[in-house]
Amino acid sequence: MNGSRLLPGLLTLCLGAILARALAASLGFSHLLLAIALGFVATNTVGVPDRLEPGIATHKLWLGGGIVLMGASISLETVLEVGGPVLLLVVGVTTTTLLTVELLARNVFGLADRLGSLLAAGASICGVSAVVAVAGAVRAREEQTAYAAATVLLFDAITIVVYPIVGDLLNLSGTVFGAWAGVSMFSTGPVVAVGFAHSEVAGQWATMTKLSRNALIGVVVLAYASYYAREAGGRRPSVRTLWDEFPKFVLGFLALAVVASAGVLSSAQLNSIENAYNWLFVLAFVGLGTEIRLSDLRNTGATPALVVLLAFLATSALSLTVLLAVF
Amino acid sequence: MSIDGWQPATGTVTDRWRDLERDWQSVLVGAATVALVSLLELQIPW
Repeated sequence: MNGSRLLPGLLTLCLGAILARALAASLGFSHLLLAIALGFVATNTVGVPDRLEPGIATHKLWLGGGIVLMGASISLETVLEVGGPVLLLVVGVTTTTLLTVELLARNVFGLADRLGSLLAAGASICGVSAVVAVAGAVRAREEQTAYAAATVLLFDAITIVVYPIVGDLLNLSGTVFGAWAGVSMFSTGPVVAVGFAHSEVAGQWATMTKLSRNALIGVVVLAYASYYAREAGGRRPSVRTLWDEFPKFVLGFLALAVVASAGVLSSAQLNSIENAYNWLFVLAFVGLGTEIRLSDLRNTGATPALVVLLAFLATSALSLTVLLAVF
Repeated sequence: MSIDGWQPATGTVTDRWRDLERDWQSVLVGAATVALVSLLELQIPW
């Protein structure tokens, strides 16, 4: 990593984070959503200069680091107590979303198979990273990958605004709102942002359920790679794909949850770790905002967006109903 | 040890960091923060 190349962008992220905090304190609005808004406004008005790009692109690293540190705030006892039903819901919603998008894309709207599969992976697992992972495994064409990624980004932008409003209107508890965002929204960054914007509890539930979904990426990539390889008469992919695609920061998150649950860290240390992940999230979300470019969203095709919208509405409503019944 | 002696070591660390995939880098960021907070009693304000 060339430090001097990254420094201007990193300083910009830090300035954005401090500004978001200051504005949040005076406006009484979520600092995380304000951080995304600052990045979004900057990139869509003045644009991001080339020399800032490398530093700003590190925002995914800070998001991952923040998620690892969040492990210290998670009670393993709570996870074990309610983890079973939530895990079932995660697998159920993921499978339903994936199959619904595939069915609508292939049988109702007649989209190309691979484009349908990319949309299904992006909507059901972890947004753009799932699109890219599956695109590599099924040898999708570049424009199909760009189309699917733009569709996912469009829904990320919409859900960042709509979910907090619906959460407030329905007066959802932190647990229900967090788990709902975690099982039904697309990309990890927006899920964590709206979760913590609602409440600390919602943020933790949103992250935990989203990480459970992300952990399924290896299985989905393996399944798609096997399906398309068989269709083309090629070699079947190895089980090693499961490990290669597994999001490794989930392991860091779990390791820290075990360490913190063992009582090794003092309350002052836990408080510092919590402050550290809050700062990392604000940094990450300023960068995330710069990725929401209106020009990219205009590339979304109407049909792929409609396919994802129908599947999203169905699974979002279904998961909220189940969560309200369970909690 | 002269400052020149640090340069190869810094180069090796930089190369190893670059070779790591981003997810593992995130784990290292988390581990480094926990190490700073727990070993050096670093206080991080909000």
